[in-house]
Amino acid sequence: MIELKKIKKSFNGQKVLDDIDLTIEPGKITVIIGQSGGGKSVLLKHMIGLIRPDSGKIMIDGVDTTTLGEKELNEVRKKFGMLFQDAALFDSMNVGDNVAFPLKEHTKLKGREIKAIVEKKLLQVGLKDVTHKMPSELSGGMRKRVGLARALALDPKIILFDEPTTGLDPIMCDAVDKLIVKTQQETGATCIVISHDIDSTFRIAHTVAMLYHGKIIEKGTPEEVKATGNPVVRQFIERKVEDNNF
Amino acid sequence: MSKFSAEAKVGLLVVAGIVILVFMSMRVGDIGFSRNGGYSLYVLFDSVTGLAEDTSVEIAGVEVGRVGKIALQNGKALVTLKIRPEIRLTEDVSAIIRTRGILGDKFVELIPGSSTSPALAEGDTIKKTISTIDMDMMMSALGDVANDIKKLTTSLSNVAGGQSGEDALRSIIDNSREMLETLNKTVQENNEDVTRIIANFSEFSEQLKEMGNANSEDIRMIVANVRQASEMVEDLMLGMGEITAKINNGEGSLGKLVNDEETVENLNAALASLKNVSEKIDNGEGTLGRLVNDEETVENLNETLESINDFLAQQERFKTYLDYKAEYLTDTSDIKSYVTLKIQPKEDKYYILQLVDDPRGKKTVTEYTRTDKNGNTTYERVEEVEKDKLKFSAQIAKRYHDVVLRGGIIESTGGFGLDYYLFEDYLKLSFDAFDFDPDTNAHLKIGADFSPIKHIYLTAGYDDFISDNDTDSFFIGAGINFSDEDIKSLMSGISMPVQ
Amino acid sequence: MLRLFEFAGRPFIYLLEEFGRILLFLLSIAAWLFRKPFRLKEILKQMEFVGTNSLVVVLITGTFTGMVLAIQSYYGFRKFGGESLVGATVALAITRELGPVFTALMVTGRAGSAMAAAIGTMRVTEQIDALYTMSVNPVQYLVVPRVVASIIMLPFLTIVSDFIGIAGGYFVGVKLLDINSGIFMARIYDLLVVDDIINGLIKSAVFGFILSLIGCYKGFYTTGGAEGVGKATTQAVVMASVTILVSDYFLTAVMF
Repeated sequence: MIELKKIKKSFNGQKVLDDIDLTIEPGKITVIIGQSGGGKSVLLKHMIGLIRPDSGKIMIDGVDTTTLGEKELNEVRKKFGMLFQDAALFDSMNVGDNVAFPLKEHTKLKGREIKAIVEKKLLQVGLKDVTHKMPSELSGGMRKRVGLARALALDPKIILFDEPTTGLDPIMCDAVDKLIVKTQQETGATCIVISHDIDSTFRIAHTVAMLYHGKIIEKGTPEEVKATGNPVVRQFIERKVEDNNF
Repeated sequence: MSKFSAEAKVGLLVVAGIVILVFMSMRVGDIGFSRNGGYSLYVLFDSVTGLAEDTSVEIAGVEVGRVGKIALQNGKALVTLKIRPEIRLTEDVSAIIRTRGILGDKFVELIPGSSTSPALAEGDTIKKTISTIDMDMMMSALGDVANDIKKLTTSLSNVAGGQSGEDALRSIIDNSREMLETLNKTVQENNEDVTRIIANFSEFSEQLKEMGNANSEDIRMIVANVRQASEMVEDLMLGMGEITAKINNGEGSLGKLVNDEETVENLNAALASLKNVSEKIDNGEGTLGRLVNDEETVENLNETLESINDFLAQQERFKTYLDYKAEYLTDTSDIKSYVTLKIQPKEDKYYILQLVDDPRGKKTVTEYTRTDKNGNTTYERVEEVEKDKLKFSAQIAKRYHDVVLRGGIIESTGGFGLDYYLFEDYLKLSFDAFDFDPDTNAHLKIGADFSPIKHIYLTAGYDDFISDNDTDSFFIGAGINFSDEDIKSLMSGISMPVQ
Repeated sequence: MLRLFEFAGRPFIYLLEEFGRILLFLLSIAAWLFRKPFRLKEILKQMEFVGTNSLVVVLITGTFTGMVLAIQSYYGFRKFGGESLVGATVALAITRELGPVFTALMVTGRAGSAMAAAIGTMRVTEQIDALYTMSVNPVQYLVVPRVVASIIMLPFLTIVSDFIGIAGGYFVGVKLLDINSGIFMARIYDLLVVDDIINGLIKSAVFGFILSLIGCYKGFYTTGGAEGVGKATTQAVVMASVTILVSDYFLTAVMF
């Protein structure tokens, strides 16, 4: 259970997050939409403690992470898995080592056991026989899959997705969407997805929230959001559709 | 290149680096050689300008030692010379500070005296020093000369300057010319005579000068001595006259003795028998004679003495050290302690016997592999730790200059180690590797010992740093060590009040 | 008037800020240096990268430094008949100065820049954030091994460079310029002391620290995508080289 309470954050005097109150339901897929550069990524990074708010509280399973030291914060972070926009694979390591990295760092498992888990996680995201490839040899979609496999390695309770479909062709987008849904169903984890891709959002979301000018202006099921009377939300949804046609 | 692992490549570079460092240090420095043994002599110089510590002391161009401390004593320079042990110097050796090359490096040269004089030992002072004209003195002398010349030219220019001076000069020149002309004429007329006269003159003056220079002191002394001697002879003559008169009259004991026939005979007999005995000894008659005359006896005696000497020398070199060290392991807040007995039969070789009390105990690991009916394999590791069990080390060590290589049993497993001494043994860096179990990482340990004062040292390092059992830990600690000599003196100090 | 001050003062303030940031970065390195787990594998990997992979470059520069030094000092010394001092001059200059400094500059160009580029790339592609999300501190994982490896490896590279440099000087002096080999070596033994070599090596360890610190620092605070990485790399090399030369003066003043 993630609760954000009155989160404020400014960069160089510019308000990015302004009094955000947001509760994420556990075991569901929540998609946060909004304009590019509108602070969605910043919001996501607050949840996992990469950025600290100027004020406000972030409660993860009842613990306020904004006051924790690095050591305690690391313990909380172990509940999370995060898929970055460009997957953020370590380009000095091959695929297998990338996925094995959290296991080597935080478990006392032997090499053979780690290898077995890596194979399993890669299979789970639909990849086979790629362990010895380097990230630079992979396509964008494959990189995202490997990134997801790495995020899943420690069986996290919460998975964060930062713009999972950006930069992918429509077919790949669809595949990634399906993967997110499938992963959520298999693991029962809480998923939080940042996106500006409206089509994708309505395909996967249990809950949609819209961030606009540092505030959450709309939150509800996809149906509720589609039927909203808020002009800004309407405009965003419709323009997005137009953009896709263009 | 890719055939070698990262470990191998790094290891190769590190080993090559260490080898080059040791090689260069050995070639460049004199570590370990000159500091071992040898003896110190002192010498007082008037001035040691330019002489640096640790420059060479030479005899006939061969280095026999180094210059030690240079200190001031009563306005003179007291220089310590560290002479190699095998160099024997006698009391009449003399010391000179010499300059090498145009760059003016200073060194001390010793000029040996006669070999019959008594030898110099540790702490003696060389009495004879010879001061040489060094560059500085020569320069200042040259400066004086230059000054004089300058004065001369100044006065000359004063004389020569101005109208009157010029006139005077001209008249002098005129006169001189006239004189020279006359002289020339005279000389030409009397050529031969003049030559002879001049030759004689120069010969005479030469002789006179030599005599005067070389012997003036002597001559004066001879004259004085002769005078004194003649006075004494006069006195002596008078006394002799008196004595002979008395003896002739049989007065006094000597008189009686000389005049008594019997005494003379006795004396003759005694002398004869004495002569007899010494002749017998010379001929090897009698025990004493045989002993004295037998070559073998002498040799035996010499050999015996030599072997006793050797034995004593060996005992001297054979040293034993006792050492206790405690290391505080920062990770577990435990103390690991070592009791070490070091036996050193030679300066560069020793044995280490050690008991180690390791709070982590001795670990034995058993690994089980099980396969269940689904075909899944599980691994199980069982680790047993025996606490309170002492570990044992026995190593043989050899020192090469600043590097010690060790090997043998370390903490009850096979291993080896390497020590590197720095700053004249104040600091010791050491590396140990042992417990080469194929399944787990070896036990590696690095550390540094710093000994600010004798007998006590501080230690710090990182133990078991590639451990895969999480037993790695930093440590800090301290230790004490004593040699058998220290213990002996300590014991005698303790037992004194009891007696 | 005020603007003039502002204009003149800005670079100065920028410099102060930069200095402060480096100090803070240094503090976090110091803090993570002694915290577990110790990344020996990473250190080893970096030791290979900084050390053995720079060896060829260092060997080549070392050899030619010694050779050129021998030629130059030969022409100078010949004017007053001091050719015998060529060996000692080469040996002293190399062990005290040129060995440590040139080695450090070469490693800066090769490894220091690579550190800035690698860490900078990781920064702009969010790999550093990824490390944080996986509860791994990037300073500990990326920076500490590079700094430790550089401090350890620079002295080893330097001693090799010292040796090969003197060998190069020997080759030129003895084989090409016909200086008597005995005299050449004897003067080296006379004038070179162990402390010259050791102090040179201590210097090189400090240089290793400087180049890795600055390389990692510039990389760690990279912004602005691929272009930013390029800028960070250039800045790292320039800043590290300048710092090495400046600190060399002070180290020399303190040591000799």
